[in-house]
Amino acid sequence: MRNLTITKSRAKSLVASLTAVAIGAAAFSAPAKAADPVTITIWTFGDVIQRNLVAEYKALHPEVSLQIKKSDLDPLDGTNMVTACTAKTGPDIVATEVSYSGYWRSYPKCFQDLRLMKATGEPTAGIPAGQTVTDIQKNYLAWRWAQGVAFDGSVIGIPTDVGGLEVAYRSDLFKKAGLPTDRAAVAKLWPTWDAFIAAGQKYDAKLSAADKKAGKGFIDNAGTIYAAIMNQGTAKYYANDGTESGKLIYATNPQVKLAWDTTIKATKAGIGTRIGQYTSDWNIGMNKGTFATILAPAWMMDYIKAQAPDTAGKWDIASIPGGGGNQGGTQLGIPAYAQNKQAAYDFLTWYLAPAQELKVFKSYGLFPAASVLYNDPALVNFKDPFFSNAPVGQIYAAGVQKLKPIFEGKLQRAIDTAIGAGLGRVAAKKQTADKSWAQVLSDLNKVVNN
Amino acid sequence: MAVLNERERSKKPLSPWKSKKTSDKKAVAFPGVKSLNGRWGYLYVAPFVIMFVIFGLAPVFYSVYISFFHWDPLGTSTFTGFRNFNLLLHDSDLWLALRNTFSIWALSTFPQMFMAIGLANLLRNTRLRGKSFFRTILLVPNITSVIAITIVFSQLFGRDFGIINDFLGWAGLGHHIDFIEGVIPSHVQIATMITWRWIGYNTLIFLASMLAIPNELFESSSVDGASKWQQFRFVTLPQLKNTITFVLIVGTIGGLQVFAEPQQLAADGGSSKQFLTLTLFLYNQAFVNNKYGYAAAIGIFITFIVLIISAVNFVISRKISNDGTR
Repeated sequence: MRNLTITKSRAKSLVASLTAVAIGAAAFSAPAKAADPVTITIWTFGDVIQRNLVAEYKALHPEVSLQIKKSDLDPLDGTNMVTACTAKTGPDIVATEVSYSGYWRSYPKCFQDLRLMKATGEPTAGIPAGQTVTDIQKNYLAWRWAQGVAFDGSVIGIPTDVGGLEVAYRSDLFKKAGLPTDRAAVAKLWPTWDAFIAAGQKYDAKLSAADKKAGKGFIDNAGTIYAAIMNQGTAKYYANDGTESGKLIYATNPQVKLAWDTTIKATKAGIGTRIGQYTSDWNIGMNKGTFATILAPAWMMDYIKAQAPDTAGKWDIASIPGGGGNQGGTQLGIPAYAQNKQAAYDFLTWYLAPAQELKVFKSYGLFPAASVLYNDPALVNFKDPFFSNAPVGQIYAAGVQKLKPIFEGKLQRAIDTAIGAGLGRVAAKKQTADKSWAQVLSDLNKVVNN
Repeated sequence: MAVLNERERSKKPLSPWKSKKTSDKKAVAFPGVKSLNGRWGYLYVAPFVIMFVIFGLAPVFYSVYISFFHWDPLGTSTFTGFRNFNLLLHDSDLWLALRNTFSIWALSTFPQMFMAIGLANLLRNTRLRGKSFFRTILLVPNITSVIAITIVFSQLFGRDFGIINDFLGWAGLGHHIDFIEGVIPSHVQIATMITWRWIGYNTLIFLASMLAIPNELFESSSVDGASKWQQFRFVTLPQLKNTITFVLIVGTIGGLQVFAEPQQLAADGGSSKQFLTLTLFLYNQAFVNNKYGYAAAIGIFITFIVLIISAVNFVISRKISNDGTR
């Protein structure tokens, strides 16, 4: 961009020759392209698009400006895309949380099939010209990649991160309760969920009467166990019967029953404080040691650090019972009606390349979905002082690799919501477990049939 | 207004751009349409009417249309006749949502009205210092984002560390009350948020109407020996009848649309749907359960409720104005 004086039309005519020069002269200094300015619009939420990486990309591509829009009503911004696709419009890039991926896999027509795109190339980041998603697929965790593939095989999203799910625990409180504090010993304490509940009861038994009156307990919310167990299985609410929508099996799948029963057992054992996650009570409880454990996805580590900075060094991370876990994760895709597909795709290939995912993990704790990094020393040796120098990279990598792909369907979010409410009713002692389950089934019957 | 005046004198065609009225910039933009004189009014209302037809009226008719379908905006839709309505009237959630909506409406409208009238009466005091300051800050809650309000109030109402529970515990009135899980407690929490947001606005309306009461009424009543309370009860309140009706109508319309507050507390309206309101029910059917036709049917149901309430309001306000007091 040093020829600022040349006019736009001349610049255009120069592009061809400049490119030729660029190819000819191998060591051509950084921004060689005199490309037209382009604005990429992005619909996202939370911290999916990191500001410092955006700045980095702008340094590489001064001609690109990124317009980022977040929704405040729906934290995961799932509904705008439905409207946009119906109206045959949309941004250039959209972030989709995995809880919506079951819905979108039925509507590949709303997305650009990324298999048909080719990267322009980014020599500084090692992205060759002509690179396709088929070339990069092997870099990512297989089951996580599958969440961005539609029923007809088209690739509608590339994962930014995988949630992972392990247990964050307060080693100081564990010590007080006479439980082991070393993370390997802690993991051995709870190979199964039943053992986890037993450990919780042991912890609660050691609490003083005053602590109990103040509402202290072992885990923040026993209801979170449900989703953790569901993700450890091979099927949730749908069976893949070869059809586009799959077959509903929520009433018969033993995994659902196992997850429900175990969560009810934990609830009845009273090991949870019944504090809702992301409430002010939760934030304060985190500081006050109201609970000693949280089932924490990797992205939650950043949240804990921000909310309870004074507890630094008191936390640690141990493997989750039952083997592996996941909660959340996001993918980026290009809507079918995007205006600047090529520029958007070039940004995606750069932003989601393993090197960038590693940066995001180090600064924000979003765990990379790029599994090539799982053996990378930078990730393996990454230790977090806030969590007692736990090798968080290693722990989460081991966890996410134990999971299997799960077929997700259109109504997954609605079913999750109904079951979550059912567990909430039991926890609040509004209904017995049997009555609550009966209501879940009748609620779901309405969701499915009405 | 300018248009009305022109039309009143419309015998003599008036060249709009020769007039000295300030609103004539528009007219200059359309020279040569002299023949439309007297019909300028249509042009003036056109921006609103066109917008209203496109963004207000058309969607209403479109909702009526899709309510007869099993509607999938992205896939195939099938005509199902009155099925959505039939299912809706048999859906217990609808009646639950109706109950919650009215309970929250009642809890937010009536206490708020008493407080607003009281506040307005205080602000009416001519010897009060910093009047304009108080009148201005009253509107601050009204321009605060609902999301921010919800965050602050859920902290206040927190079960374990909320300040309201601290206070209740200190006063010996309760311990760790779970405002979200209870039916009435959750309604109280939501109604408090609504009250906080709208009380200033309503106070200003009451204040304006109080200031319009002729001073002679107060003077003659004090000559007759009326106390401050008697003045308020027998002079101020009767003069506020029309304003009270107005505030009630506006409050009812707002009450039927309560959405963001419960949605931000818990998107599904609570574990036993204890604060699922009609609009939240509609939203969740459409955007969580993907039942757009069903949601449209809920929208039509809400329309009928609004019509019924409007009719009741109409009858009541007619009765009030026939009572003699203006």
